[in-house]
Amino acid sequence: MLGDAARRLQGILTELRRLPAVLGATIARRDGILIAHALPKTMDPKKIAAMAAAIVGTSEMAVVEMGLGSFNSSIVDTQIGKMIATGAGEEAILVTMVRNEANMGLLLLSVDKAVQSIAEILKAAEVPA
Amino acid sequence: MMQSPPKPIALRAKTGIPVLDERLQGGFPRPSTLLLFSEKPTEKRLFGENFAIQGAKAGETCLYVDFFRAPQLARGELKRFGSIDPAKLVLVDATSSQLLLPSHEKYHIDDIDNLANIREAIIAAMTAERPGRIVVDSMEFLMDRFPKEDVLRLWRELIEAARAAGTVSCFLFINWTLMERELDEIRAMSDFVVEFQSSLRGGIVRNSMRISQMESNGIRTNWIPYTFKDLVGLTVYFPRILVTGPFNAGKSTVVKALAEKSISIDRMGTTVAFDYGNVNITGIEAEIFGTPGQERFEFIFKIFAREVSGVLLVVDASHPDELARARQMLDLVGPRIPYVILANKSDLPGAIPPEEIAHRMKLPDDVPVVPTVATENKGVRDALLMLAEMIIGVR
Repeated sequence: MLGDAARRLQGILTELRRLPAVLGATIARRDGILIAHALPKTMDPKKIAAMAAAIVGTSEMAVVEMGLGSFNSSIVDTQIGKMIATGAGEEAILVTMVRNEANMGLLLLSVDKAVQSIAEILKAAEVPA
Repeated sequence: MMQSPPKPIALRAKTGIPVLDERLQGGFPRPSTLLLFSEKPTEKRLFGENFAIQGAKAGETCLYVDFFRAPQLARGELKRFGSIDPAKLVLVDATSSQLLLPSHEKYHIDDIDNLANIREAIIAAMTAERPGRIVVDSMEFLMDRFPKEDVLRLWRELIEAARAAGTVSCFLFINWTLMERELDEIRAMSDFVVEFQSSLRGGIVRNSMRISQMESNGIRTNWIPYTFKDLVGLTVYFPRILVTGPFNAGKSTVVKALAEKSISIDRMGTTVAFDYGNVNITGIEAEIFGTPGQERFEFIFKIFAREVSGVLLVVDASHPDELARARQMLDLVGPRIPYVILANKSDLPGAIPPEEIAHRMKLPDDVPVVPTVATENKGVRDALLMLAEMIIGVR
């Protein structure tokens, strides 16, 4: 059963990567530990997981401080594309990297769908020590 | 011309994990009997396989009795642990006869439904090969198929034969049906019990093991988290070691000193997010997270202060007025997490000695205070090793 959850998470990432203009995707825990990834070889998944957790953590705190309601996602805009870090349930975050030509409307819909599935899988897969 | 005698095998059977071997005074003694035990399916086979391969790497002959895998498959899977002299790994084939295939192994069990035949095949291999290590994978295979009294008798006979041959024997066993009383009996037949545990939290599998010597006052470790590394084998793994301490104590420099390829998210000389590095010392892998020291970044600290295996608390020995803040940061991590104090910048004028720091911070006696100079990579690695020993309970 342990392997089953991991496989399903990997499946979600593979699906995201297949979308046009998507460079890579990774699932990290909110405290910066890597859960699963589908990233190009040039990226270090563990480092990206830690950084994404810091971005989401700081963004969430900023949102609370500014009284802007609850946090959904952080989008980092760059010369080449965008990095979207989205909360996936209580435990996890989904990071998606896309090139600038991506259709953001469609992409965000896919990200939303992915995030819901991730939250469900992780919730069902808890096995305490 | 005199033929050179074969290389004598080491008195102790190393696990290949230096921190453990040190505690075991060089490894498991010969002869001895190990029970690799779990209540649920876990990755305990990794330990058995690793133990056999470490033996083969050390030039010992290892006997692997495999009831589940065909010999070709087992050999293929064992390649993950790195290359060995194939002659040093002797398999007892228990699957070919189950599949009605001819066995190509020197030793094979021809009648899997006959305990006497199983016994004979294993003991014949033991007597002929005089292996340094034996792994039986696994006893639950037999428990599932034969009356438990018969299996227990066979188990005792195998232990006796292994002892006579002066080898370390490992028996893998998952308990499905036995009562506590019978388990106690099995434990009492063994010299060491290695227990295994797996858990899944937030999508991440964590494996851990605990070694207990059955002899009274024997060794007893804490739960040791472990992982598998390709071509290396079993490795102690700490998913998170926190490097924390007051502003400007040298936390980022400590992370840099420990991990060659570390990253630091800093602006204007101070860490604003975190430092991260992956450390590999023989037999130990750790993910090191450095936190910001300034109070205004405390919320970042909280993101990373989960599932912490241990803490390296860095203080500036030349700025004793910051020690109160250091104490406070320790409390942020929570109780019962092992920690080591790094008295950093110990080469600067005005640096106070470790004893003085321990005294001023009102530390318990068993907390080590290690003088370090992180900029010159002095003392930092020792501090991490000490912390590792504290976490796994061998210090």
